[in-house]
Amino acid sequence: MYWKIVRNDMANSKLITGMTMLFVAVAALLVTLSAVLIVHLTSAIDTLMKQAETSHFLQMHAGEIDQVRLTEFAEQNKYVDEYQMNEFLNVEGTKINIAGTTLAHSVQDNGFSTQSEKFDYLLDLDGHVIEVANGDIYVPVSYWKDGIADLGDTVIVQDQTFTIAGFLRDSQMNSMLASSKRFLVSEQDYAAIQEAGTVEYLIEFRLKNLADLKNFEEAYTSAGLEANGPTITYKLFQMLNAISDGLMIAVILLISVLVVAIAFMCIRFTLLTKIEEDTREIGVMKAIGLRVADIQKMYLAKYGVIAVIGCMLGFACSFFLRDILLENIRLFMGETDKVSLIWLFTGLGLLLVFIVIMGYVQSVLKQFRKLSATQALRFGTMQGKGQHAKLLNLSANKRLPINLFLGIKDVLSRKTLYATMLAVLVLATFIIIVPQNLHNTIAAKSFITYMGIGNSDIRIDIPQGKQNEQQVSAVMDRLEHDTAIKNYTVLTTKKFTTIAEDGTAQNLKIELGDHTIFPLEYAHGEAPVAPNEVALSVLNAEELQKKVGDSLAVVINGQKKNLRISGIYSDITNGGKTAKAAFSDHSTDSMWSVVYSTMADPSLVADKRAEYAKTFSFAKVSGIDDYIYQTFGTTIHAIEKAARAALVIALLLCVLVTLLFMNMLIAKDQAPIAIMKALGFTNVDIATQYAARSIFVLLLAISMGTLLANTLGEYLTSTVIASFGAASFDFMINPLAAYVFCPLALTSVVLLATLFGTSRAGQVKIIEHIKE
Amino acid sequence: MNIVSGEQIAKTFQVGKEQHPVLLDVSVAINQGEFISIMGPSGCGKSTLLYALSGMDSIDQGQVIFDGMDLTTLSDKELADLRRTKMGFVFQQPTFLKSLNILDNILLPAMRDGRKNVRALTERALQIMNKMGIADLAKRDITQVSGGQLQRAGICRALISNPQVIFGDEPTGALNSTSAQEIMDLLASINSEGTTVMLVTHDPKIAARTERILFMSDGAIVNELRLPRFTGADLDDRMVKVVSTMQKIGI
Ligand SMILES: Nc1ncnc2c1ncn2[C@@H]1O[C@H](COP(=O)(O)OP(=O)(O)O)[C@@H](O)[C@H]1O
Ligand SMILES: [Mg+2]
Repeated sequence: MYWKIVRNDMANSKLITGMTMLFVAVAALLVTLSAVLIVHLTSAIDTLMKQAETSHFLQMHAGEIDQVRLTEFAEQNKYVDEYQMNEFLNVEGTKINIAGTTLAHSVQDNGFSTQSEKFDYLLDLDGHVIEVANGDIYVPVSYWKDGIADLGDTVIVQDQTFTIAGFLRDSQMNSMLASSKRFLVSEQDYAAIQEAGTVEYLIEFRLKNLADLKNFEEAYTSAGLEANGPTITYKLFQMLNAISDGLMIAVILLISVLVVAIAFMCIRFTLLTKIEEDTREIGVMKAIGLRVADIQKMYLAKYGVIAVIGCMLGFACSFFLRDILLENIRLFMGETDKVSLIWLFTGLGLLLVFIVIMGYVQSVLKQFRKLSATQALRFGTMQGKGQHAKLLNLSANKRLPINLFLGIKDVLSRKTLYATMLAVLVLATFIIIVPQNLHNTIAAKSFITYMGIGNSDIRIDIPQGKQNEQQVSAVMDRLEHDTAIKNYTVLTTKKFTTIAEDGTAQNLKIELGDHTIFPLEYAHGEAPVAPNEVALSVLNAEELQKKVGDSLAVVINGQKKNLRISGIYSDITNGGKTAKAAFSDHSTDSMWSVVYSTMADPSLVADKRAEYAKTFSFAKVSGIDDYIYQTFGTTIHAIEKAARAALVIALLLCVLVTLLFMNMLIAKDQAPIAIMKALGFTNVDIATQYAARSIFVLLLAISMGTLLANTLGEYLTSTVIASFGAASFDFMINPLAAYVFCPLALTSVVLLATLFGTSRAGQVKIIEHIKE
Repeated sequence: MNIVSGEQIAKTFQVGKEQHPVLLDVSVAINQGEFISIMGPSGCGKSTLLYALSGMDSIDQGQVIFDGMDLTTLSDKELADLRRTKMGFVFQQPTFLKSLNILDNILLPAMRDGRKNVRALTERALQIMNKMGIADLAKRDITQVSGGQLQRAGICRALISNPQVIFGDEPTGALNSTSAQEIMDLLASINSEGTTVMLVTHDPKIAARTERILFMSDGAIVNELRLPRFTGADLDDRMVKVVSTMQKIGI
């Protein structure tokens, strides 16, 4: 019996039922996709890192190396399971030629390796440990994805010609955020190209128990072992692998929450309108003795059917989309083996959507209880009399054209009714603007200042070495006399020892120089200026347990000095553990130097960069734009995709909601429309009034949505971004996109939908509604 | 001079597959300043004729001339313009916008064109309301007044644009007889100032207040009765004439 009523009810309101189902389906689709992506990403990373046996602790080192001492340390340390030392032949991009073009523009540290012996294996795209033949080369998969290399292409390094036999997954350096890229060649070939570059060492450890990592790190540092280069731990490898796609998932999840909210509002609106329409019938049912619970059951049954079909539809559609979204994960991380887990999470996600929807319907249905039979029968409505905005009176209105006035007045008079549409449009604005601002922020040049890199035009990295000092002064001399250079600064990183309160010593790499010329964004405090000041990266501050204003004991030139912590900043460079200070020191050798410079005429940056790259062949010269692109490229791209998807989805939602809303409004407003027409209002007048309502609600929504996006949205996004290292963070808003394009797109879409949705208004027959 | 005239108006409603002829070759001519009523049993086509003559509803055959214009040739927009500027309507059921108060409802049709002189219009609305005895209700909600008061507000609204003709479809149908007679007093006084008033009613007591009565039966005008101006004391006399005409034609 319920089934029959439900079926009739749905057949009578096909459009509304369809719409509600659609929103449920979209919500289910997004939740399903997130579930699939999350499980796939985490398990694929897990599998990759297991198959590759990723190092638990990696110390990169350039310079002299005492292998005996290292082996001894590894043998004696109780935490160590396995130890190995890999070589990484760092070769300049100009000397690597892939299919006719060099990697000159790459900001990655490209280099060659042989397959590891014990762990940290380089894998092929099937997840197998690669055995490479002489003359063959395996290239990092990112170069394949970027279209730089293809199977069978030739790679030339130092007169040696290689054929690309495949592409490799590097569990440690896959991510664009990891700045080194390993090419795999055979032992024999490796020996042949030795002269092409400089060797860096990857000192790698696997521990018996990963939980002991912290203790091991301490032991390694206090043993005073090789540490000229970044230190990276298992956790950071995991994070680096997860970032790009993790961000995309976060955005999808955010959108799916909002779509669920929109589905709620549709249900609320349709259900309330339906209740209003049905009040009389419900009254009759109550009067003839049906119980409230029965009526509730009927509606619950209806929405149960809608929710189930919606969930199934969403689930089905997810199959078409998942492959596109999974492409990146599959390529870099591989397949998942947790198929059953995917099903489980998908099932749980769908169940969640279903439960949430039914819970919501149940809560709306509570209003039935409040309805008395007589009230329903007498008035045929649950609401009292028409409350209206007393402030806005026609007799006091000189400015607004009448149709605009009537439109706005109607919105203000029936606030609860329009609240639904308002909320949807606010959310739509929100989901358009937030990803866009996020994309804009990350793509902006200044974003790197949140990441520990000064904002400049050209960055020159001068590696460690005996000639470091001469090279630095050569570069400085050149920059000093180059009139095209506006300003520059040299930052030199040196290694110092800090002494904790309990006396334990720890290494700290401090970047010395003037940090005010190309300032970073500081999460707390500010840049070090005085000689007794030091700034720490977030990770270092956490590890050393220091806050701004605390003091830190550092051994400088053989003496223990107390430095004041002037500021804390986010950093993604060099494993995230860096420090900056302004004091001068000649007691220790520098590890490396970075020269930042800006140009008077930014349009000449590319030329200047090429010129310097030629002149300073010992250094890595990069434009900051390239640096951003190559480091954050994947992330930026993922967010851009998400932002675009959000735009399309939001606009689509607006169209649907507006159409739905206007249709229901017209159905409800037949009588007043007939009255207006009888009084001599033209069809154009009526259409204008509806457009005025839409636009009024929309303008309100856009202002509220923009405000919300810039407050709550910024907060949410900064939470996401903080998870990969940037602690403080402000939206970079592209005013054209946020304040012109977005409102314009929304307005035109909503206006079109309104005009389309209200085209029926003109067809209302006067006589059918007022003739006696 | 004729302000409204219909020539051989025919209209058929289609319900499902069945044809329901409602107006059969009706011709009628109404002079400027007349106080006229269409009288007949329920369902005989009175309202349909009224809406045909005011251009609110289309006709299948014939011609309607209003103030020298052939309504059948006008567009929707031109018809709307005409309704707004030259016609006033009073309906049986209150037809007001719930979101506007009484005064704003009355101002509504005039405000579309007259936004600039809103002050003068408000002044005029209050004057008319005063005359109709509802001046103190201006700021009330339409749910806060009685049916009789609402109907007066309806007349005020019909008058706001100073129309040439006021059409009333059972304007007293929802009122008790005292209120109904009061409304008729008001309509008569409006008519005495030169406005043509045309009513539809099935109530002889209402028809008897007008000066020309068209009797309708089954979609055709079957008789006509002219009465002198109402003096205030001759209602019973007029009633007798109306009722006897009705009996004569068998309705
Ligand atoms: N929109 C319509 N569709 C079909 N039939 C209608 C319609 N309007 C009126 N009718 C029919 O036309 C006839 C005349 O209606 P109407 O003019 O309203 O009568 P009156 O006003 O004299 O009571 C009635 O039989 C009625 O059922
Ligand atoms: Mg009628």
